[in-house]
Amino acid sequence: MSEYTQYLQEKDKIDVLLNQGYSIKSITENLSGAFVEFERITGSTITSETLHILTADARKYFSVKLIHQ
Amino acid sequence: MADLRTNIAGIESPNPFWLASAPPTNSGYQVQRAFEAGWGGAVWKTLGDPILNVSSRFAAVSFNGQKVAGFNNIELITDRPLEVNLKEIYETKKKFPNHAIIASLMVEPKQEKWHEIVKRVEEAGVDGLELNFGCPHGMAERGMGAASGQVPSLVEQQTYWVKEVAKTPVIVKLTPNITDITATAEAAVNGGADAISMINTINSLAGVDIDTWNTIPHVGGKGAHGGYCGPAVKPIALNMVGECARHSHINVPISGIGGISNWQDAVEFMLMGSTSVQVCTAAMHHGFRIVEDMIDGLSNYLDGKGIQSVTEIIGKSVPKYSDWGDLDLNYKIVARINNDVCINCNKCHIACEDTSHQCIDMYTEADGTKGLRVREEDCVGCNLCSIVCPEDGAIDMVEMTHELPPMTWNERQAALGKVACEVDIAAK
Repeated sequence: MSEYTQYLQEKDKIDVLLNQGYSIKSITENLSGAFVEFERITGSTITSETLHILTADARKYFSVKLIHQ
Repeated sequence: MADLRTNIAGIESPNPFWLASAPPTNSGYQVQRAFEAGWGGAVWKTLGDPILNVSSRFAAVSFNGQKVAGFNNIELITDRPLEVNLKEIYETKKKFPNHAIIASLMVEPKQEKWHEIVKRVEEAGVDGLELNFGCPHGMAERGMGAASGQVPSLVEQQTYWVKEVAKTPVIVKLTPNITDITATAEAAVNGGADAISMINTINSLAGVDIDTWNTIPHVGGKGAHGGYCGPAVKPIALNMVGECARHSHINVPISGIGGISNWQDAVEFMLMGSTSVQVCTAAMHHGFRIVEDMIDGLSNYLDGKGIQSVTEIIGKSVPKYSDWGDLDLNYKIVARINNDVCINCNKCHIACEDTSHQCIDMYTEADGTKGLRVREEDCVGCNLCSIVCPEDGAIDMVEMTHELPPMTWNERQAALGKVACEVDIAAK
């Protein structure tokens, strides 16, 4: 799989969560890439999801989304 | 015709092209010939206590048959008594009153030594002084040149001593043999320098003879490190000029030196902040008359752009020179191969496949025609294919429309800092 294809897959996962009303709550970056924790608050219910982002372009992508969220 | 007159810290010259302090400016005979050829100024070969030189002093590095890609020397400062040099400076200035003569100076780091030479040299009628804190060989072993120039406090102190008595503008010439040249540049400014010049030569050994095992050059079978200059050092010099030009505490004019071989090089240095440029290796390679092409080329360039005075281009590229953290991470270019021009040598494919990002595919059409194609989505825009391509116009680097808004590393990190963010934590 080309890195571009991998990027598109990671971008899709990010977009799906953002479209579902999640926002970025925290980011952990380490030797394995970036772990982006998303959070959605619906009434009194808080749900969270974490994506492990591997590609450089997807790390740029969630950063742009974070700046504009 | 554009006005090429230059004024750097009060030193005026008919054009920005000066000969650097080096063998070409060793004597009045040479400097007068240089002025007749058209050079706007000359920095006299460094004056100080007359030294002793060795035989076999220069060496050059060729690259793929191109001679003098780099030049190495182990010659020291003037070996002639001060009185002889001053007499020739006086005579030269009298003959060429409108040309700039700057005396390069080097003495021991003692106040009285600097005071003595400054007073005596200025009496000869020089237009300015250049303090040689840069020569890396020989004199540095005696505590002068680069040995002084690598210690900011010594640069500041000696500049201050000179300024105590100097009546003409003082240029401090800096060594590149230091991690951060802005540290010594700032020290020079703090000491009162009216201008700075850079770069002096870089520590070097031109080569080793693989048959005799002697160094190149060698003196009776023994060698010592020299100073490297010429076209090979231009990128190093240009960066150092740019770093000083954009530094907020370094607010004096710069005379750029380092591999300047033609008018285009001169324009680059001036765009990056140089008010004048100094040339040595190119003159040693081709003679003083290369300045004719430099003057014509610069003049035509300015006329072509409708620029009235060469001073208008000084520093114009400095705002475009920044830190990596301020570059746009989302700017994207990709390689595009023009198969009409491509000669199918496959160098781009090999370079990309072996050493870059594996995004240039070889293909064969139904009619047997071979070609190369870039998978643009996988291209990172590194430029390597266009660098190795032997055919002009075969590969264009094309700017892509922004998919994402501009974002720098510094902006990204600031944004990450605002949310709960951990870095360098073990993987979850």
